[in-house]
Amino acid sequence: MQPVDNPSIRIAFRSLISLVFAGAAVTACTTHEYPGRRANDAGDSSGVSAAATSSTSTPAGENVTGATAPTGPGWGIPADGDWTTQGRDYANTRYSPLAEIDTSNVSSLRIAWSFNDGVLHGHEGTPLVANNTMYLVTPFPDIAYALDLTKPGAPIKWTYRPNPSPIAIGKACCDVVNRGWQLADGKLIYNLLDGHTVAVDAATGKELWRTQVYDVTQGVTMTMAPVIVKDKVLVGNSGGEMGVLGSLTALDLKTGKIDWQATSTGPDSLVKIGPDFKPFYSWMQGKNLGETTWPAGAWKNGAGAVWGWITYDPDLNLIYAGTSNTGPWNAQQRPGLNLWTSGVFARDPDTGMAKWAFVFTPHNEWDYDGVNENILVNLPINGKQRKVMVQFNRNGFAYTIDRATGEVLMVSPFGHENWASGIDSVTKMPIVVPEKKTEVPGHWVRDICPADIGVKDEQPAAFSPRTGLFYVPVQNICMDYKGREVSYIAGTPYWGADMTRHVGPGGNYGEFIAWNASTGKKVWGIPEKFLVYSGVLVTGGDVAFYGTVDGWFRAVNARTGKILWSQKLGSGIIGAPMTFRGPDGHQYVSVLAGVGGAAMVTKAMPGFPARGGTLYTFALDSSIPAQGAQASQSSASSNGAPAKEKR
Amino acid sequence: MAIHAFAFHRAPCLRAAAIALLIGSVQACKGQPELLREGSTGGIPLPKDSTLARVALGDIAGSTRNTLLTSIKNPYEGNTGAIEAGGELFVRMNCVACHGYDARGGMGPDLTDTYWRYGGSPAEIYKSISEGRPQGMPAWGAMLTSDELWKLTAYVQSLGGSFPAALAEQGKQGNLGATLDTATGVLKGRQSEP
Repeated sequence: MQPVDNPSIRIAFRSLISLVFAGAAVTACTTHEYPGRRANDAGDSSGVSAAATSSTSTPAGENVTGATAPTGPGWGIPADGDWTTQGRDYANTRYSPLAEIDTSNVSSLRIAWSFNDGVLHGHEGTPLVANNTMYLVTPFPDIAYALDLTKPGAPIKWTYRPNPSPIAIGKACCDVVNRGWQLADGKLIYNLLDGHTVAVDAATGKELWRTQVYDVTQGVTMTMAPVIVKDKVLVGNSGGEMGVLGSLTALDLKTGKIDWQATSTGPDSLVKIGPDFKPFYSWMQGKNLGETTWPAGAWKNGAGAVWGWITYDPDLNLIYAGTSNTGPWNAQQRPGLNLWTSGVFARDPDTGMAKWAFVFTPHNEWDYDGVNENILVNLPINGKQRKVMVQFNRNGFAYTIDRATGEVLMVSPFGHENWASGIDSVTKMPIVVPEKKTEVPGHWVRDICPADIGVKDEQPAAFSPRTGLFYVPVQNICMDYKGREVSYIAGTPYWGADMTRHVGPGGNYGEFIAWNASTGKKVWGIPEKFLVYSGVLVTGGDVAFYGTVDGWFRAVNARTGKILWSQKLGSGIIGAPMTFRGPDGHQYVSVLAGVGGAAMVTKAMPGFPARGGTLYTFALDSSIPAQGAQASQSSASSNGAPAKEKR
Repeated sequence: MAIHAFAFHRAPCLRAAAIALLIGSVQACKGQPELLREGSTGGIPLPKDSTLARVALGDIAGSTRNTLLTSIKNPYEGNTGAIEAGGELFVRMNCVACHGYDARGGMGPDLTDTYWRYGGSPAEIYKSISEGRPQGMPAWGAMLTSDELWKLTAYVQSLGGSFPAALAEQGKQGNLGATLDTATGVLKGRQSEP
């Protein structure tokens, strides 16, 4: 199903490669204490007792940046009590207006019910809720569950087992994750690790269509969350470490039939670049740059996989989808700018044709993918209101970009990086620090920050239209890196790097920050000993929720950064929390706990949790029926206890 | 780039079909070239494919005792030159990318512990490399010679997680620890983490 044939197997005997994820050394970081932290008075018992590190905080009720979320019927905003797509709306704000749980009462949250899905791999998705039903999909083998929220304990309504090919297990670089599922047109739609997309009847769990999009035997997998725009299901591939040809594919929502496919590298005809393509910067203008910025033919295994998040502006009729790292990691084997990897495309969802593109990390030497979510907001910059997208890139810089033109309006580091001294004011290319270049293989380059997994990875940030702030999970991790020559052998990794990772300055692997995208400045931050590899939820009650890799689920005052509540869950949190209104009218908060994915690079840390696969649902103590309540005359009481038999 | 030459010969269709039947896999005979299996470059006799084909997968066998498993030994076991050559293949064929530079696992399983999904005796390791395994392990028998596969096996054996052919039955029964304790002083399969 790929637009070009994979090259035949090539074997070279001088090649070298490396291990990257597992077994990578993790040094330092045991019980480091962070200076300047305020005492936490909310009963946080994690031993990390983090609190805001900045004196700046936002006054109650005020939007401090002037940034607002786009609104209108086309923006995919569900009913206020529902959550039907991963990012909650096409802008991917992950903001819910629900406000029963607020800063004054969130400390009384407790577990209402939980659900173990039986799969012990990384849980990176967000539960969905519609029609009083919760929808979950497990990591491989990608089982879908519908849970009935109208019944006590939310029992299983239906289960769908797609039985994907187990070959996929050995082709996925970084755990066999599923990053998300979507509800549209009465269907639950998601990707299988083995390169298929499926649509399931949301009411019955019956499979409606199943389409093979990619060939898993060639190392191509699928882990991203599809996005449904009009009559199209948009999906992309994974395999940035497998020498794949990255692409974005549109399927027909009704039938699953493939409509169009656009690659991330190669000639303009494959990339879907035509006369309407107008990149803002001159170095991205020209014919067939996806082919000519590579050594002959290298684009075919140049990656640019589309494994991240897709957002959509219905007013401009443009979708925004990032492209992965460049393949192989060893940059000496691919002299050139290596377009269009490590960047983002704006495309027409109807045709796939590119409107503009921007490449964050040209000739990527560090695995800084461009796939992170592009959150769409409207905000003032230099006194002028702009329609922008904000991306917190792996490379450590936060980009505020005009989403109509691709012009970079604001760019600044949002965490610790030392590989670039800045961004060129004219070209917006990174100014690479010569000592951090990895291009010449065979020698160790020490202390490159961030490490391959970036200052932020795929875990999605959130935006509150109430505060005007972005809430961002941040990683403080660096690497020692040694490039290695590598040969392409189809179906095996095409990697070309050996590395170890270590914690960045301060000794905290993680941080949770609030960000002003108009000024490019951090407002406050909460350091965490372990990685913050969870997505973020922010609500109308001005509460932001996030989780840590060691399993702490936290609620934070979205204005001040003060931790208001924490709960230790059964495994590390790498999914994104969500909130919904239950059939009882009360607000609930749900999150998956199941460590895995790229968070495993820190698995050697003392206290790193075991695998898990449990959904936790929380509510205010006052909203949860009392435990052990008297059984009623009905078949089941509100706490699920069977009715007492009459004797 | 050096070009690697493979030694192929055409195998009778019947023989290939018989092997496929014996190992329980579904393979159509399409007259593909089969690798030359007999005789190593150094003149060391190698176990024949037809014998190896009768070694069942460790995880699905068990009803009868397979004496072959304990009698097929790696002719290169402990051979320093062969282990070194196997180590080079481990890098060149991208094994390191999945199993790790230190062979402690990543995308693929750890090869230094005594947990073997498809058996940890020399013949079973050889077969796993040659035939591939369902969760993503490619079938290297299609592109490496028998000689190279045994050298790779010798390298994997040198990592300390595999066990000698003579202990194959104990391995299946889960009784490996005590035996290995005497042999190597290490109980890798039962170690506690700090």
